[in-house]
Amino acid sequence: MAKKKVAGDFGANFKELEDIAEWFEREEPDIDKGLAKFERAMELAAQCRDELAKAEQKVKEIRKKFGEHDTVSLD
Amino acid sequence: MRIFSVTEFIELVNETLQALGTYEAFAVEGEVSGYRVNQGQWVTFDLKDERSLVNVFLPIWKLRTPLEDGMRIRVAGTGRVYAKYGKFSLSAEQIELVGEGALRKALALLRHRLEQEGLFTSERKRELPRFPRRIALIASRDSAAYGDFTRIVCERWPLLDIHLYNVLVQGERAPEDIRRALAAVQASGEAYDAVVLTRGGGSFEELMAFNDEQLARDIFASRIPVLAAIGHERDVTLAEEAADVRGSTPTDAARRLVPDRRDVEYEIASRIRSMSDSLLRRLQENRTALHRILESGSHWASRYRIQVDAWASATEGGMRQLLESNRERLQHLTRLLKGLDPTAVLARGYSFVQDTRGRVISGVSRLGRGQAIFVRMKDGTAGATVNVVKKQF
Repeated sequence: MAKKKVAGDFGANFKELEDIAEWFEREEPDIDKGLAKFERAMELAAQCRDELAKAEQKVKEIRKKFGEHDTVSLD
Repeated sequence: MRIFSVTEFIELVNETLQALGTYEAFAVEGEVSGYRVNQGQWVTFDLKDERSLVNVFLPIWKLRTPLEDGMRIRVAGTGRVYAKYGKFSLSAEQIELVGEGALRKALALLRHRLEQEGLFTSERKRELPRFPRRIALIASRDSAAYGDFTRIVCERWPLLDIHLYNVLVQGERAPEDIRRALAAVQASGEAYDAVVLTRGGGSFEELMAFNDEQLARDIFASRIPVLAAIGHERDVTLAEEAADVRGSTPTDAARRLVPDRRDVEYEIASRIRSMSDSLLRRLQENRTALHRILESGSHWASRYRIQVDAWASATEGGMRQLLESNRERLQHLTRLLKGLDPTAVLARGYSFVQDTRGRVISGVSRLGRGQAIFVRMKDGTAGATVNVVKKQF
């Protein structure tokens, strides 16, 4: 099976992780399948943690003339 | 003396009244009485004080606040005589409520009306995504609310882009400003997961911008879910009621908008743990099952062995038995044979007679006088000659 890439979308990664966790709760997993899924879950978890660790809050101000989309950084 | 036609006179009166100034120059304060809406578009009522009364007229779209008899209001407009009936009235341009009592009453009326229309129904409320990525924040950059909101969001969840739409949050121009910002958010083309509308605490009048009817309608119509948190817990504005989610304060809004990263990290860890537990449990179960199989295999094997042993011993026993019985027969035969052994008879004192060729002569009929015979005894043979033959028996 081709390995899926872990993309940097926290919500999607977390959802996939949740789905795998539910699979574990629901199924009587056979060991091979379970191990493969577990490996994937570990990747996703690492990616989620990584994203949280790396991220910094970004605040942009949309200029007063709403509709023009030039923004200023407030950091 | 100048003579006017009626029409000319009324025109003159109206021009004089116009000269009093535009509606920005003065307002008339009094109490509403006989409030009516005609044909769904014309509002009329009497404005009274203790001694006098004036009829007020305006198209309904100019009325920005609900009215009710007994309310104290200020009407800005122009006095005018309606030519056809010669009736004097105050043509209102702007109506303002006087005092908190009137404001609250008007707000209660408006709230009731919007509620009837279904602007606040819970079925229409949308949920915010659990992990929003980008939001539009409509607030005043200089407000404490802005600071509180962004600080709490930063503390809890780093994965959020905030786009600030800086607006006025109180005063007459605030509702319009906020509505423009909300429209700009919808038109921005940005993939906002939510719009957050917030301001901190203030007096009832200061928060009135968020009780604006049009703003409430715009919030209700927003394509993007709206989270509104205005003032303190006890202040519930129409904007908040029309919003999808209400936060009691700016800080509460931040908590409702984003999860705490520590909770999420804990959740991830515990999910991984329960997965690995489940896997390990499965492995253990497999091991146990395997063990059981092996054990039952060896049970089987040992049972088989016993069987084989049983068969084996049965066979051996049979053999032994067979041998045993044969041995007995052998002994019996041996005994029998032993009884037949002539030498044993000779030992007891018997003897037998043989002819010269060694043949046993068992009767006298085969003997004659002078015949050489041999007498066989237990320890040897004696040669003899027959003298007499006497047949007996």
